[in-house]
Amino acid sequence: MISPALLRQIPVLTFATLAVLNGTAAALAHASNRGHVLLLPTQHYLLGGAIAVAASFLALVLLPPEPFARMMERRKLLFKLPFDGRTAVSSLSFLFFAALVYAGFFGSRDPLANPLPLVIWTLLWVGLTLLHGVFGNLWAWLNPWYGPWRLLVRLGVKESGHASLPAVAGYKPALFLFLCFAWFELIFVAPEDPTILAAAVTVYWLFTFLGCIIFGFEAWTERMEFLSVFLRMISQISPFTAKPFANSNVIWLGWPGSKLMRAKPLPLSGVAFLLLALSSVSFDGFMHTFTWLSVIGINPLEFPGRSVVIAPNSLGLIMMFVALAGLFFAAVWLGEKLVGGKDWRKAAGLLVWPIVPIALAYHFAHYLTALMVDGQYAIASFSDPFFLGWDLFGTAIRHVQAGIVLGSDAAWYIWNAQAAAIIGGHVLAVSLSHLVAWRLHRSARKAALSQVPMALLMIGYTVFGLWLLSTPSIG
Amino acid sequence: MNPIGNQSQVVGNGITRRDVLKGIGAGAALLAAPGFVRYSQAQTSEPIRIGFQCHRTGIGAPYGRWYDRTTAAAVKLINEAGGINGRPIEIVIEDDGTDAARGSEVVEKFVRQHKVDLVYGTLFSHVVVGSAPTAGELKVPYYVVSEGYHVASGKMNRYCVQPGITDVKAQVRSVAPWIANNLGKKVTLVYPDYAFGHDHRDYFAPAIEAQGGQVVAMVPIPPTETSFTRYLPQIPRDTDVIYHVMVGPAVLTFVKELGEFFGNSGPKLFGFIDSLEAVDLKSPGLEFLEGSHFWEGMPRYAQADMPDYEKFYREAIGLDDNGASVNDARDISTAAHMFGCWETLHIIKRSMEACNYQGPQDRQALIEATEAMTEMEAGQEHPQGKKVFDGRIHQVFGEQNISQVKEGRLEVVHRTSIEDGRYEPEGDYTKMSF
Repeated sequence: MISPALLRQIPVLTFATLAVLNGTAAALAHASNRGHVLLLPTQHYLLGGAIAVAASFLALVLLPPEPFARMMERRKLLFKLPFDGRTAVSSLSFLFFAALVYAGFFGSRDPLANPLPLVIWTLLWVGLTLLHGVFGNLWAWLNPWYGPWRLLVRLGVKESGHASLPAVAGYKPALFLFLCFAWFELIFVAPEDPTILAAAVTVYWLFTFLGCIIFGFEAWTERMEFLSVFLRMISQISPFTAKPFANSNVIWLGWPGSKLMRAKPLPLSGVAFLLLALSSVSFDGFMHTFTWLSVIGINPLEFPGRSVVIAPNSLGLIMMFVALAGLFFAAVWLGEKLVGGKDWRKAAGLLVWPIVPIALAYHFAHYLTALMVDGQYAIASFSDPFFLGWDLFGTAIRHVQAGIVLGSDAAWYIWNAQAAAIIGGHVLAVSLSHLVAWRLHRSARKAALSQVPMALLMIGYTVFGLWLLSTPSIG
Repeated sequence: MNPIGNQSQVVGNGITRRDVLKGIGAGAALLAAPGFVRYSQAQTSEPIRIGFQCHRTGIGAPYGRWYDRTTAAAVKLINEAGGINGRPIEIVIEDDGTDAARGSEVVEKFVRQHKVDLVYGTLFSHVVVGSAPTAGELKVPYYVVSEGYHVASGKMNRYCVQPGITDVKAQVRSVAPWIANNLGKKVTLVYPDYAFGHDHRDYFAPAIEAQGGQVVAMVPIPPTETSFTRYLPQIPRDTDVIYHVMVGPAVLTFVKELGEFFGNSGPKLFGFIDSLEAVDLKSPGLEFLEGSHFWEGMPRYAQADMPDYEKFYREAIGLDDNGASVNDARDISTAAHMFGCWETLHIIKRSMEACNYQGPQDRQALIEATEAMTEMEAGQEHPQGKKVFDGRIHQVFGEQNISQVKEGRLEVVHRTSIEDGRYEPEGDYTKMSF
């Protein structure tokens, strides 16, 4: 996606960096809110987080798992939705998407005034993901393909598609697509540029739509369309379940995470997918730390911009995934070894589900401030989406309250919310993991023993997560 | 509350959305259709298009937000007064991501795609240095608001000018006489050990020596350092003044540890507000700064004896008495830098009027008109104060503020003279070809 013009400028950039280093710099490295966080007693939180996760694990070891497992199975019928609105909602979503793409190409060039980048990066990637953790799989209705695809089915396109996706591919295509997405978001020089983003989402929409036509909507969104895969996984933590029944939906309420108890084991590529999702958000935090910038030889006080760190950050993104996946599989393998388990692959496929609350917690913690500020820009942009001077909702000149995330008070509240999410996510994960292990082995002793390596990993990841949010960083 | 303070975005025709609505009346937004806005001001001419290379994302974003607000306020004022040569200004914003390569690409987009008359508004040095060659190649005027010495050094090109903000070399030199005469002659420099810190070291040491002062110690601190207690014993006991220019997230820790180290005694402190731009001076950890002095490009806090034009400027942008947004007391402005946007836009206006600018064919004449400028009087167009422009090095010189922290606010105690900061030019752009 890098334009030739940009590539031509790389030598210019080298010159720029050298010139700056030769002493013409006005360094304006901002003190930023991390400065306030550095003054907080964050090391106590790191210790407290580790103790909380360890204590949760020990409590589970000492308590009999059956009552918890029974409790998790309890659910309550809430109501029946007497219709299936997927086609209608998805069609509207498609129209909204088309308008956004139009805005991307022809609206404001300012990424904080154009609704496309604000919707994609803030409302969808951050906001909608968090909503999936609470309300369940909204994407099944909101995706912009189902409605147009239904229309084609009515016109004669085969519902089941014209070909079958090879089963052997598993989640590998979605894994690859998610990696591309994460690279575009985290490494590419200008993912917020409205034109570039409009082109990217258009290509992806067409690619997916074509896939739905050829292989059928269900098959394609089951294992290929990475957002469907990701959001469906995240929605497993939600207390709500919608069961399609004839032309209606029955909505159930259960304990958060209880769906994970019943989830089928993921194939290894599915396990890798979820771990990639978590590791990419982790890397988003890590790549801004002084620690990482020192490793790649960048002075964090004069960060030269994304174009200079494309290669090391691409490598870092992959390495973070490899490290997390390596630790996860090692913890599962060792745990199974300790209790004489036969099938560590199946165990990994089940034990990855409890990672979902951690992924959601990371998502919340890392993107909280972006959601709070850019969410306001998004609201403002809706009033004048095409940059024509409209004020459709009276929000066009809304003064964005950036101060909501600024200053020592905000830093305290945000840090505590982030820490609560990270620690809470890991406590839930360690608990769910224990129940999954009990389901797998049907023995309290074996479940406890098999989970020792995983509990250690989760304690480590809790500390890592809190460290990421409290260590010196840029931006 | 001043309604102007509400505006944070400039729309396609260079005026704020509110103006559009005011102009066409309540409910008339329904009438708005494509093409409507651009001509709603009944201008007979096409607008002057200014490409605003804005740090919307990346590490410069906190500055970009306020550069945007200042730009919006200045453009509104100019357009309300009839624009430039009867033509309104239209601002086209492109985000450079605070990235040099992207910045250069954006300059190209401005010229080839957006057909702007000129490019303006860049702050971060590396983006300026990365973009200026492209501006030179495409022969488009590039008015930066960057504070770095790179323009004045003579290393850019004929198209790159910095007429609205002084450079760091002049700033550092101008504070030396006051420090020597008021705080003491034995100075210890504490600075981050890279280009920015080295600039201060290299510019300040000769300047203080010229005043009969002496640098008794230099304490360079690695940029990745986040705890400073082990460096503080390097400060000699007979130091009168610590000149500190730490930047980045660890600044608050630095000040806190300085306070813990010296307690109620210790040398006097002199710093650059760059360290704490947009940070509330009443933040926990900064208590030790009480009574210390800072350089400020323009006062953040409203001063008792502020001239009317400065009040007008603050009101137009929407600043409260603490230098924060009137709409959001926690959103503290980048006051020491953003005035440069306001002044630069007024200089563009004056230059275009001087050369009767008609279109891109007059770009060279525009640069020559700016180069021909000399004195700029303080007033509504130059609210920061009087200035002198040196056309040879494309750099403006001005008065600087030395402010003291009193009860968590900065109070201006001295204004340096323009001469305090001037230096021998190292180049002459006017001898370069276009």
